[in-house]
Amino acid sequence: MERHHSSKAWAISLCILPVLVVLVSIFIGPSAEASPRAVFVWLISMATPGSHSHTQGMVETILLDVRLPRILLALVVGAALTASGSSLQALMRNPLVSPDILGLSSGAAFGAALSMSLHWMPLQPAAFLFGLLATALSTLMAGGRRGFSMTSLILAGVITSGIFTALLTIVQIYSDPFKLQTIVHWTMGNLHNASWSKLRSAGLPVLAGAAALMFLRWRLNAISMGDDEMRAVGLNPTREKILVLIPATLIASAAVAVAGIIGMIGLVVPHMIRMLIGPDNRKVLPVSLAFGGAFLVLVDDFARAITSFEVPVGIFTTLISGPIFFYLLKKHDAGFREN
Amino acid sequence: MAVIVDDVTFGYHQRPVLQNVSFEIDQGRLAILLGRNGSGKSTLIKIIAGLLSAVSGTIRVMGRELKVLRSAERAKTIGYLPQFHQPVFQYSVEDVVLTGRVAYIWNAPGHSDRQIAQRALQTVGIEHLRDRPYTELSGGERQLVMFARVLAQEPDIILLDEPVSHLDLANQIQLLTMLKRMTQAGCTVLAALHDPNIASRFGDQFIFLKNSRIASPPNREFPWDSDFLSSIYSVQLETIRSNGKPLIFPVLENTQLPPGPKGPPSIDLTPS
Repeated sequence: MERHHSSKAWAISLCILPVLVVLVSIFIGPSAEASPRAVFVWLISMATPGSHSHTQGMVETILLDVRLPRILLALVVGAALTASGSSLQALMRNPLVSPDILGLSSGAAFGAALSMSLHWMPLQPAAFLFGLLATALSTLMAGGRRGFSMTSLILAGVITSGIFTALLTIVQIYSDPFKLQTIVHWTMGNLHNASWSKLRSAGLPVLAGAAALMFLRWRLNAISMGDDEMRAVGLNPTREKILVLIPATLIASAAVAVAGIIGMIGLVVPHMIRMLIGPDNRKVLPVSLAFGGAFLVLVDDFARAITSFEVPVGIFTTLISGPIFFYLLKKHDAGFREN
Repeated sequence: MAVIVDDVTFGYHQRPVLQNVSFEIDQGRLAILLGRNGSGKSTLIKIIAGLLSAVSGTIRVMGRELKVLRSAERAKTIGYLPQFHQPVFQYSVEDVVLTGRVAYIWNAPGHSDRQIAQRALQTVGIEHLRDRPYTELSGGERQLVMFARVLAQEPDIILLDEPVSHLDLANQIQLLTMLKRMTQAGCTVLAALHDPNIASRFGDQFIFLKNSRIASPPNREFPWDSDFLSSIYSVQLETIRSNGKPLIFPVLENTQLPPGPKGPPSIDLTPS
């Protein structure tokens, strides 16, 4: 296996990627005032004190209040969805699951919409609670005495996702027109109204959940061997699964709460990573955070640069992930075997 | 006594799988479990490994009751090699073996864990497979990798469910020789095997299961009596003694297989 020899170099370079992507992304956007040249001038003036001029106020506002929060939010959301997808795939021994396929995203979206519309509960706790409920529902529906089968888990996810999407529609019907527009746009997976407050709202839960998953990442190797094989080496399967499910649900729900349902990232990006560096979760998890974040920032750059009007980034990710996934399935065995 | 099984009973949905099973294994012995498919061998091994819990009866391992052991403590005492393992992800062989260390460490395996894994691979004789993807190995090689994982766990007692079923004759003998050597180093082994010829060459002690119960041979010193074995395996067997060891083979003429515990169809082997 040649590709496993170079996996360390790959892992390191993928972890450096987000820094470069963020730097490049600062220059991209539809605003005429903040052209790449103006951004460059502003960066130079920031580096040389005393040369701050009046015309740069506008550029500064665009950069600091519009672009930077959006880029950082894309980074956090992409990292969260990818890391959640990677851990869920290892945990369920099923490379075809992701936060959206399990119904987790729909559950979190329902909770968040409920909070936006009725103000029962703060946004993040509501998203987490219903995300957890959805995950529990689909795993309990699919789980038998001998663990989950691949197909039953996906079917249970489809049903769970359907239930929460239907409930979300009900919330939309009962929302007033002004709130309805916000909710509909947000559901489609959107980063265009990113703000520092959204970044703060998602940042803390994502940071906490990612730290927990990073700590557990080697255990994921043992967990992904199967229930009997876990017991044989002294792990309690139920306990270990809950230990991973909670942070994996937390970070994906937090991402959904601020950015809506950005589909396919949690499914496709973990596959790309396993293809490049192999399935060892000690590497897959940090690379998921770094590369997943960078990936969404890049996709969002396209969304910002290609069109003058805003196409929700969730629609972009789904459009480009389809062909990528098709390619992965045909070209490689994508790091797993079906049987 | 390394293993004491006392009056263990187990069943699925009222169908008895094990009834009043009792036996003991001394430390440093290689005990072999024999019986037909469905006689309860796998279940018995899973119960001692702590994967299933018996309906009644008690099990003691290394002087402690199995039920009171926490799962990490149990894993340091007992290693279990399952019959099959179905992998999903393409982990390298080394990564699979390292998962055997999870009872000892929380975060990530360190240098000493890697050395232990390396030694386990050497012992099993599959060092050359270390960086290969586990999913691309043959069934027999995978079995050896999982055995190396058991060794990396450093248990006092090793339980193996049909460990040689996917191995060729040379690998079978190599694995059993290795088990024998490990018992000489103080390890206790209980293995379920199919072939009484192989079993008789390696075992120190033999436990027979028939219809979910322990069956006792008429002669404990030489349990390979042809009538007794014929009743255990439900086929006509003949035993020849050569140099104190048995040579067991089936008698095929005029043999009708009587229905076994699962009731397979009778096959008439008489030439027509």
